[in-house]
Amino acid sequence: MTQTAEGRAPERPRVMGTPKSVDIDITDRCNLRCRYCYFFTSSADVKDLSAAEWQKFFEELNRCAVTEVCLAGGEPFIREDLQEILAGIVRNRMRFNILSNGTLITDGIVEYIASTGRCNYVQVSIDGSIPITHDSFRGQGSFAQAVEGIRCLQRHKVPVAVRVTIHRQNVRDLENIAALLLEEIGLPAFSTNSAGYMGLCQKNTEQVQLTTEERHLAMNTMLRLIRKYGNRISAAAGPLAEAQGWLEMDRARREGKESLPDRGFLVGCGCTFSKIAVRADGVIVPCNMLSHIELGRINQDSLADIWQNHPALWKVRERRAIPLSRFDFCRGCPYLNFCTGNCPALAYNTLGEVDHPSPDACLRKYLEEGGKLPEEEVG
Amino acid sequence: MADDKPQVNPSVILREEFDDWAVLFDPDTAEGYALNPVGVLIWKQLDGSHSLDDVVAAVKENCEEVPAEVADHCREFIADLVKQGLAGYEVSK
Repeated sequence: MTQTAEGRAPERPRVMGTPKSVDIDITDRCNLRCRYCYFFTSSADVKDLSAAEWQKFFEELNRCAVTEVCLAGGEPFIREDLQEILAGIVRNRMRFNILSNGTLITDGIVEYIASTGRCNYVQVSIDGSIPITHDSFRGQGSFAQAVEGIRCLQRHKVPVAVRVTIHRQNVRDLENIAALLLEEIGLPAFSTNSAGYMGLCQKNTEQVQLTTEERHLAMNTMLRLIRKYGNRISAAAGPLAEAQGWLEMDRARREGKESLPDRGFLVGCGCTFSKIAVRADGVIVPCNMLSHIELGRINQDSLADIWQNHPALWKVRERRAIPLSRFDFCRGCPYLNFCTGNCPALAYNTLGEVDHPSPDACLRKYLEEGGKLPEEEVG
Repeated sequence: MADDKPQVNPSVILREEFDDWAVLFDPDTAEGYALNPVGVLIWKQLDGSHSLDDVVAAVKENCEEVPAEVADHCREFIADLVKQGLAGYEVSK
């Protein structure tokens, strides 16, 4: 570990012998082309791996004592053999989550999902309280289908998670979205994020990504909704997470603290200490948002060996020892010792560098562009 | 019960996460149970062919500073696993 002027690098979390969970893109195909989808940069042309190939990989996951897989894509429900794939997960002693746009969910497959007893949740994306808001970036008719998908899951008592992506078309609809999800539909909770500068969002950033003023509006709105609904709304990224994180950083600076624990280094991502990902073509990658870092291929390379020994995976893990003071981008920043550097995938997609703080999530940059910290604090 | 030789629930996963830490994970309930290295040693004996006496002997052979009450401890530990549905006994026809 590196000793720096800012202090000792954070202790590296211990790495387990095998990943605890695996994120799997089981298809490249999707019936929608949402304008901010992180996944697509062009039309999908990768042929799906067969259910038998996934089954063989699930057997390896079983031997590795992996407890959970998260199925994404593309749109998982587009696969005609989804039930066969899920059966393979269940046979191999794992639980599963599915990330979906919600539009292809049917009673038949949901009945099967419920019968397994192994589904943690199906996550459906909802971006508006009314069709025009949601459909603006996802396509006409998708709102009604997604809401019906949620109702279908509820009918069969399958846990539903909803993710709201905050963008320019729905930033003034957030109160109504919360009311729809928590009061009308009756979900226990939902989470939010924002469209990152990845995939199709890179082409549509002017239409999609919040302006500085809209970011301020979104942060204030989300903090107000937190006061109303409590922990029924959460975020690991996007305006709500930024509001909470930036207020904490600013409070620490104003109170004259030298630093916050484990901050001042590239500690913004801990995913590679507990999970790994697989692309739709079977290539193993550290994260499905760092899909350019190829670590091996399922059913050819040993997952445990990759997990324990692959230099590229260790390089991502060892970002945590890189001090932010190393970067010109951070020089002179009053928040340097309170900052995590944020998501490596966002840094890569913006700058072409994984080992760099993400400019998109930089508090100083936001303030320099005229942004204001949110006025309301949680609670 | 088949000669009182306990065996693990085959659905339950043993994750030996670190040298000093392991977890039993039941995918049907999504619950996890922490095990120390002695617990892992006992768990690995529960294959339906080892009796309590065999388990105790394995602990004595592989562990240091084994207390005099080791048999009681092993019995209680296995009983707890059975109570939690993590282990059981084969049913005789």
